[in-house]
Amino acid sequence: MTKYESLINDLAPRKFGKRGTIWTLILVVFIILGLIAYIDQVNKGQVVTNMRDYALWGIYISNFVFFVATSFVGSATVAVLRLTNNSWRTPVVRIAEIISLASIVMAGFTIMIDMGRPDRLLNLFIYARLQSPITWDVIIIPTSIILSFLLLYFPLLPDLAILKKHHLKTKPTFSKWYGKLSLNWTGSKVQKAIQSKSIKIIAIMVIPVGILLQTIDAWLFSTTYRIGWDSTNMGAYFTSGAFVAGLGALITVVYIIRKVRRLEHYITDYHFDKLAQYLLLTCLVYVYFNINEYLIPIFNAPVEEDIHLNALVYGEYATIFWFSQIVGLILPILILLFKNGRKPLPVFIVGIMVVLGSWWKRYIIVTPTLLHPFLPIEGVPESWHHYFPSIHEWLITGATLAMALLIITLFVRFLPVIPIQRIAEEKGLLKTDKKAES
Amino acid sequence: MKNRSTSGSAFLAWTIGFLFCLGLSNIYAQNDEKYRVRLRADYVKIMEGDAYLNIKATAKIEDETLPVPNIDIAVYNEVEDEEIILGNTKTNMKGESRFVLNKSMDLKSDSTNTYNLGISFNGNDSFRKASKSTSFKNAHIVANLIAKDSINYLTATLRETATDSLLAGESLIIQVQRLFNPLKIGEEFNFTDENGTILVPIEEGIPGVDGNLIIEVVLDDSDDYGTVISIVNAPVGTPIVEEITFDQRKMWSARNKTPIFLLVFINLIIAVIYGLFIYLISNLFRISKN
Repeated sequence: MTKYESLINDLAPRKFGKRGTIWTLILVVFIILGLIAYIDQVNKGQVVTNMRDYALWGIYISNFVFFVATSFVGSATVAVLRLTNNSWRTPVVRIAEIISLASIVMAGFTIMIDMGRPDRLLNLFIYARLQSPITWDVIIIPTSIILSFLLLYFPLLPDLAILKKHHLKTKPTFSKWYGKLSLNWTGSKVQKAIQSKSIKIIAIMVIPVGILLQTIDAWLFSTTYRIGWDSTNMGAYFTSGAFVAGLGALITVVYIIRKVRRLEHYITDYHFDKLAQYLLLTCLVYVYFNINEYLIPIFNAPVEEDIHLNALVYGEYATIFWFSQIVGLILPILILLFKNGRKPLPVFIVGIMVVLGSWWKRYIIVTPTLLHPFLPIEGVPESWHHYFPSIHEWLITGATLAMALLIITLFVRFLPVIPIQRIAEEKGLLKTDKKAES
Repeated sequence: MKNRSTSGSAFLAWTIGFLFCLGLSNIYAQNDEKYRVRLRADYVKIMEGDAYLNIKATAKIEDETLPVPNIDIAVYNEVEDEEIILGNTKTNMKGESRFVLNKSMDLKSDSTNTYNLGISFNGNDSFRKASKSTSFKNAHIVANLIAKDSINYLTATLRETATDSLLAGESLIIQVQRLFNPLKIGEEFNFTDENGTILVPIEEGIPGVDGNLIIEVVLDDSDDYGTVISIVNAPVGTPIVEEITFDQRKMWSARNKTPIFLLVFINLIIAVIYGLFIYLISNLFRISKN
């Protein structure tokens, strides 16, 4: 077996073992439970949630913001690292592209879940006001889905052609499908030129579209007069937070795939060190924006903002607030500052901390503000002043997260998670093989 | 020894039983207690408008005076020993109700030209029955706007309707209607003279929509006449210049007022991005054909 064949064997998708099957089944169970809860929500209305006139956005929207933030990983790694000529990115970009697509697709679904009348989805387009950030959001999310798909698909073409050839004898049905999806890729000069040009265009597009997506997401909040949201810092704050959430998710998934698929030769300690440094930089930037977001209001906030800040720092939301700040941001920075902290296992643990911190961070961005309404209603029930998701909300949200993980799992099952062609080119295996063949 | 132990147990059982009954009686006593409703009825008459009774029901519950909502109250006219039912009303969530006295009700007065109205509540599971009476004579205010030596004045004359006699020495309030609290003008107390008249200068510069002031002359909560209000529209204010920029903020307005720059900018971005999408997808076709 040549080195090239050995490389294909290592990187070609494989059938799940026992653990993979159990994992997939668990995800399916979560999705079914969420689906049952959602059907009940559609039947009975959003009264089954704990959202009321005050907390009219709850866990669904915070989960949506988390998905949107995580989808930024495509822009953060593929585009930024490509345009800055960071060649170490090769083994992780495909995983980043997959996470990006899965996240943005689920962000779209989550918005629909939050709608009291999903049958009126088309009204978002029919009665759209171009002045409304919600309309911009409705435009940018499908745009990002298309772009994320193209970002994943174009670089996949050579690998799909390789898989077609690889499975020709052993799995003819798979081979047929890979052949169709590879669009008759032969690796001709013309095809390579078109692909290379297209990828370059996508890599450039991904950055402004990604920033637009994060900024519009931030403007959904900051264009209101609401305390905690009414901030000019919000766009940059969300974008920097998206870098952190996206990289945290990438590191976590990369570590698990490396372990399960035994890819230690391809995703090395060096890659984790680089990813960790990148995450450290983004965490530091995010800390800076957090200081801007929370420190300035301490000086000049009106009374209501002060009440809001107190609820975050000392009050009802203090546990979640400090969890997201310390576990999700400060501790990761302290760990990643040390070289030993940038080894795969510590980085993986940091990745999980960052993801959890990022999820709860979105929760405390969305919820506490809503409990301090711009125009308070007189004589509302005491329960309206507090919000914690209902069982329905947890089940549905759990199902969306499970669905995102299932999309990633299925991509890992059927696609090469590390670009085969590119690795072969970088290692010079293609030339060696051709010489051997001749 | 045994006896002592038996008597001790008996005492303990008796004590527990006593305390239990005591507790039980307290619970039932609480359930049985009915609160006393306090009713209030104020007569208000607006010249050229409605006359009505402002009714308020409150109760003192656990040392706190609270409104009594959703109770039925009957309103009647007391004529000598007879009570003529005028109608029924129900209190709102604030324990308040406004009962309009229509002309068709044909209120009857006694020999002193005094109208006696009563309100009563028949009680329910939580509140004891209660009633309240109020008496008033019919009075009216004629108010006019006049100008003397380039100064605008408001003149108002108060008369008792039945006898058409002028009412001297009554205090009238002059105020300009405002969104929340009215703006009082003139002296703190404007007592009517022997002609039953007051003359109050309207100072310049009071802002009003298009310069119009809605001025109220109020005989407030008089023991004999209740509250009588006369309203005068006086175009002597300073027009309000609206400085609200809301309508100019097209970002908040309807979609047919979308700013041009936004239409151009967003559609341009969409066109560029989707144009590139079309190009990229066409590249996929080109790849498949090569």
